[in-house]
Amino acid sequence: MKKQKPDNLKGFNPFNQLPQEIIFTILDLLNSNPLDIKSFSLACKSFYAAESKHRTSLKPLRQEHLPSILSRYPNIAHLHLTRCSRVSDTCLSFVSHACASSLRSIDLSRTHLFSASGLLGLALNCNNLVEIDLSNATELKDSAMAAVSQAKNLEKLWLARCKSVTDLGVGCVAVGCRKLKSICLKWCLGIGDLGVGLLAVKCNHICYLDLSYLPITSKCLSPILKLQHLEDLVLEGCFGIDDDSLAVLKHGCNSLKSLDVSTCQNISHNGLSSLVSGAVGLQQLTLAHGSPVTSSLADSLKKFSMLQSVKLDGCLISYDGLKTIGNWCASLRELSLSKCSGVTDEGLSSIVTRHKDLRKLDITCCRKITDVSISRITNSCNSLTSLMMESCTLVSREAFVLIGQRCHLLEELDLTDNEIDDKGLKYISRCSQLSNLKLGICLNITDEGLIHIGRGCSKLLELDLYRLAI
Amino acid sequence: MDLKERVCGELQKEVPKGASFTNFNTQHQQKWEDPSSTSDYSTRIEPPFQAFNQTSQTQSLLLCNNQIKVPMQDGSVNDLLQASKIQDWDPSAMLNNLSFLGQKIHQLQDLVYLIIGRKGQVLGRPDELLVQQQQLVTADLTSIIVQLISTAGSLLPSVKQTLSAATTSLGQCGEFGGVVFPSSAQGLNDGVQPQNAGGSKVSEPPNSVDITSNNGNEQSNHIIEEHELKDEEDAEEGENLLPGTYEILQLEKEEILAPHTHFCTICGKGFKRDANLRMHMRGHGDEYKTPGALAKPTKESSSEPTIIKRYSCPYAGCKRNKDHKKFQPLKTILCVKNHYKRTHCDKSYICSRCNTKKFSVIADLKTHEKHCGKDKWLCSCGTTFSRKDKLFGHITLFQGHTPAIPSDEIKAAPAGTSDGATNKVGSVNFNLSSYVSSESEVQSSSMDIKGGIDDAVGYFSPLSFDTCNFGGFHEFPRPTFDDSESSFAFLLSSSCNYSQKSGEE
Repeated sequence: MKKQKPDNLKGFNPFNQLPQEIIFTILDLLNSNPLDIKSFSLACKSFYAAESKHRTSLKPLRQEHLPSILSRYPNIAHLHLTRCSRVSDTCLSFVSHACASSLRSIDLSRTHLFSASGLLGLALNCNNLVEIDLSNATELKDSAMAAVSQAKNLEKLWLARCKSVTDLGVGCVAVGCRKLKSICLKWCLGIGDLGVGLLAVKCNHICYLDLSYLPITSKCLSPILKLQHLEDLVLEGCFGIDDDSLAVLKHGCNSLKSLDVSTCQNISHNGLSSLVSGAVGLQQLTLAHGSPVTSSLADSLKKFSMLQSVKLDGCLISYDGLKTIGNWCASLRELSLSKCSGVTDEGLSSIVTRHKDLRKLDITCCRKITDVSISRITNSCNSLTSLMMESCTLVSREAFVLIGQRCHLLEELDLTDNEIDDKGLKYISRCSQLSNLKLGICLNITDEGLIHIGRGCSKLLELDLYRLAI
Repeated sequence: MDLKERVCGELQKEVPKGASFTNFNTQHQQKWEDPSSTSDYSTRIEPPFQAFNQTSQTQSLLLCNNQIKVPMQDGSVNDLLQASKIQDWDPSAMLNNLSFLGQKIHQLQDLVYLIIGRKGQVLGRPDELLVQQQQLVTADLTSIIVQLISTAGSLLPSVKQTLSAATTSLGQCGEFGGVVFPSSAQGLNDGVQPQNAGGSKVSEPPNSVDITSNNGNEQSNHIIEEHELKDEEDAEEGENLLPGTYEILQLEKEEILAPHTHFCTICGKGFKRDANLRMHMRGHGDEYKTPGALAKPTKESSSEPTIIKRYSCPYAGCKRNKDHKKFQPLKTILCVKNHYKRTHCDKSYICSRCNTKKFSVIADLKTHEKHCGKDKWLCSCGTTFSRKDKLFGHITLFQGHTPAIPSDEIKAAPAGTSDGATNKVGSVNFNLSSYVSSESEVQSSSMDIKGGIDDAVGYFSPLSFDTCNFGGFHEFPRPTFDDSESSFAFLLSSSCNYSQKSGEE
């Protein structure tokens, strides 16, 4: 590059002949490493200009430099202000004028100091704004939501932990932003049935709805389940929803694909079945920390043939429950049983022998399982890509040899606090796809085993050696 | 503490009042059964009622004749009731009551048999006799009903109701009925006048005066009973009447709007309440200080026959006007007054807090003022709601309407304080804004979606004002102090802000 420079300056610059599209395509390929882009832009003025026009995403570290940065990059569509802890209203108004209609998404989570007036300017000037993330803005009130509601084209709104927002604010958003598709209201403790219900009535296009830890009851569920496009519903920790009120619901949501009712202790299999009634396309189900998984609960989910992922973290599971899951007609891809009490060799075996397509299995802290389970898992689930088995203390060192021998597609392996030794590591190094390996508190391994890993697993990105006795 | 004590005191006062009803009943019953008192005048009234003298319960006959003296005897009634308050209610008295009721029903049955038996035999003055027979039976019937009600009512705790000292025992009876049995209360109010009219038809004034003087307290007791009888009787008759057969009265506009309805016959001063008039009358001489003069008079103003009265609104074309196709009559004069003022008069009472709500009846204003400013849920169209769910129902229903954020919140958004002073200021702002919005609503008569949006923008006018202010130095420290989550960052960021501001200026 440096040698070419004088030639270019003297005479003809071949890069001038290149159409901008091609340069942009080249720049697209440089995206993997930010330093590459930097050196590209420093090459010459025309490259500098090209890079300035090409860049659409920006994540500045300091807000005071925003004016100069934004004047350099005119086509910013995605602005992440998460690194700037303080973004004032004046700063936001500057952003709104500088970016204007090019801005499509702005991330203001983790920033403070801005208020409703700044947001209003943003909403009015940036008419193409599609995404706003206002998470953790605990001091934002309903007036800020009213300002947000001026962004008529908004499709994605994240309001996690906006505790001061009430039903009124959400009502403004619901009326103003009719195109909303994804909205997260997690931990917005001021929002209740009325606000959520109005949101569901007014915004028909919602496909993702996160209502975690809201003080809602099933009153608002009726309009929610009527949403035509709803695919993802998160009801984590909604303690106000219980079986009795769910029984009243007449119809389920047909389009539902993913449901999270973890930590809803008041929902048993009766309520769950009325909640998912009609959701024939259900693919993901999270029941973590909920009511005990018995055969009746497992039975109620039997008919969902599309089910791919089930998370039962922290549940009390009976043998019958596990056995019934093994009899499901669906073929699970993903199963999480971490911290479940009641997972035994027999139960786990009955699952893995049926669901041979398992790609991800989480048996963290299933302390009762032994070599038998590992043998069964490795035998039937050869296509496992992720196996998390932290603190399976009864599994002996010989079992890890089996993992290395049979599961070659593993990309993620968590063996924290296990009995694995150097021999096991030697076999695990056969998993050439491994990118993430956790070996914390594995006291039996030495340098020798790690050398094997280093040689075999060339794609390793993350290696956790926490508290190793090396 | 004061309040509590007062409430307790009132409660304690109330208890004997509630009990007094039952006492009254028992006492009354004893009196009723006293043969000596009744026999006296049953003989005197003999001529018109010869046929019925054999019945043991002739009191009711008397009652029919003696209605005219009701007002004069009220005082004595009062005394009697007060005396009876001393007694306490006991189950045995209840039993007495019930057995007495049974007895009375049997007697009435006998009486009706008798009437049927004698129908052919009695000649001469058949019309009058017929009326008297009817009155006799209905009076007896109603007395039974009333007694039943009061007997049952004495058991109900809801009877305990505060009664002003001014109201007489008769009033108590009425109110008592009103609380527990609204329908009977209606009968009480309506029935008094027609029955009086019926009584005057029978017309034996000298006789009745005689009796009054002779029998004193005892007679008055009967008259209380008689009141209730009449009321019930009237209600009964109303049921028998076909729809449309009731009498329609129509007051003139001036009459309705007159501030006073009771006037002193001596000095001409007007009063809204007859109780106030009676209090006033005491100043005109000792004759107005007697218990009889101070007691609540029965309404005897009308001289209409015993027909239910309903009222028509004088405003032509009104649904309450008798010429309207779907005429719906008004029940009482008070209804007429309120209806006329609310519907056909200017709303001259304006709420001093919100300056938007107007009322023509001052009571409505007072009711509104109790709730005005409290829990106001405001829509962008200017409509206010007392309940949040009502507002949300409204917003769900109408396109483009949004909940209006109270402007106090906009003002105090970063500070988020909860001290009283800011709240007060906030509420003032809030009221102003609501006024503005409603005004805009009035101006733009057609409220479409755009209008709603415009309104919403209008709400933020103070907000954009804030933006201008925000450049100032004063606004910045507040939120930073408030922010508890990363207080260490305050120094850093504030310095940043300052540098930026200087750059801008």
